[in-house]
Amino acid sequence: MSASKPDTLASDGAKTPIPDTPLFDRAGSHRGYEMNKMAMSLVSAANREAFAADEEAYLDRYKLSPEQRAAVLARDWQEMVRLGGNIFYILKISALDPMPVTAIGAAQVGMEHEDFLVERLGKERKNG
Amino acid sequence: MAELIGGCGTSHVPSIGIALDRGLQDTPDWKPFFDGYIPAKQWIAEQKPDIAIVIFNDHGNAFFLDRVPTLALGVAEEYQIIDEGWGKRDIPSFKGAADFSWHLADAMVEGHFDPLICREIELDHGIQVPMELFFGRPEEWPVKIVPIFVNTVQYPIPTPQRMWELGQLLRKAIESWAGEERIVVFGTGGLTHQLQGARAGFMNREADKAWLAEIGPNPEKYRDWTREQFVETFGSEGAELIMWLVMRAAMDADVRTVMSHYYAPASMTGAGMVVLENEALATEEAA
Repeated sequence: MSASKPDTLASDGAKTPIPDTPLFDRAGSHRGYEMNKMAMSLVSAANREAFAADEEAYLDRYKLSPEQRAAVLARDWQEMVRLGGNIFYILKISALDPMPVTAIGAAQVGMEHEDFLVERLGKERKNG
Repeated sequence: MAELIGGCGTSHVPSIGIALDRGLQDTPDWKPFFDGYIPAKQWIAEQKPDIAIVIFNDHGNAFFLDRVPTLALGVAEEYQIIDEGWGKRDIPSFKGAADFSWHLADAMVEGHFDPLICREIELDHGIQVPMELFFGRPEEWPVKIVPIFVNTVQYPIPTPQRMWELGQLLRKAIESWAGEERIVVFGTGGLTHQLQGARAGFMNREADKAWLAEIGPNPEKYRDWTREQFVETFGSEGAELIMWLVMRAAMDADVRTVMSHYYAPASMTGAGMVVLENEALATEEAA
C-alpha cells in the first residue's frame, strides 16, 4: 500500500512547507524543549502554586533562553510558538491566568479576538 | 467469539469537557453540538458494548517530549483521570479490559507493530471526551476500555497507511479473542483545527463534511493520502483524523453509516461524529 503522492513529512518537517503552519518537528522540539518542560511541570498543583507565588523564581528552575523567559512573562503566545513552544504544553501556562484558547489563537495570528472569532472561525459578531 | 458491534468516530475537543463541567450544554453556543449526540447515546445504550477500544492521542499530559512513543497500548486494570493543568476533572476513573489488552499486545507484536506497553498511565481529554459524549456522565462507566495512544504531536507522526494497517490488525485481534464480549471501536480527534501559527483558526467545513460522508463508503481515498494532505486539508492538529482510519479499517469493507453529526466551531475545531455498522451485521439482524 502506498500513498498517492510522496510523503515528505519527517522529523525535519515538510520538504514542501505548508504556509503559516509550523510543524512540531525536531528543530521545534529542540528549540522549545526547556520552555515546554517548564510548562509541562504546571500539571502539578504544587508547581502551579509556586509559579503563581513567584513567577521569576519559578522560571529560574528551568534553562529558558532570555527570549523565552520574556515571552512567558509577557504571555506572548506568538513569540512562545516561534521559540519552539508547542500549544499543548504552553497552554498550561494559560491555566494560571485563564484565557480562552481562541484568544491564544487570535494572538498568534495578530488579530483582535472578536475579529478572529468572526473571520477565522465563522462565528457571529457580538460587539459592533 | 467476541462481536464487533460498530465503529464510532468522534472529536475529542477539551472545551467539550469544560462545557459539561460548567453545565453549558443548553447554552446557544453548545446546544446544537450536544443535541447531535443524543442519537449516538441512544445507539450505544441499545448496543450495550462490554469493551470500548479507543484510539486517541495524548496531548502532552501522560507523555512529555522526553519520550514519545509512536504507539502505546494500555494494559491496566484501572486508569485514573489526569490533571492537565486545571485540576483533575470530576469524572470516574476507567476500568481497563486488561485481558483483551494483553491479547492485543501479543497480536500487535506478532503482527510487527511494537507498542509501548503501559501498565500504569493516566488518561487525558482525548479519551475522556469521547466517553462522555457517548455515555454521558454515569457514576461508573458501563464499559471497560482498551486505550491505544498514537503520537500526533511530535513529528514524525505515523502515516495514514500505517493507521489503516493497525486497524486491520485490530480486527484480527478481535476475531481471535476467545471472549464473548461485545466490542466497539472509537477513532477520535479532529475535525479541522489548527491551534498554532499564522494559520491558526483555519476552518474547512466542506472538507469536514466530506470526511463524515465518505469515511464509511470511501475510506481508501483518505487511507492513500499523505500526511501533508491531512495537515493541509484539516490543519496541523486536524491531522489527528488519521486515528479514525484505525477504526475504519477494523470494520468491514461494506459499512452502513448509521448516523453522523457536524457542528463548527466547537471552540476552534470542526466537531463531528459518525457511527458505522458492518453491512453484514445489519443484514443478519434484518433476517
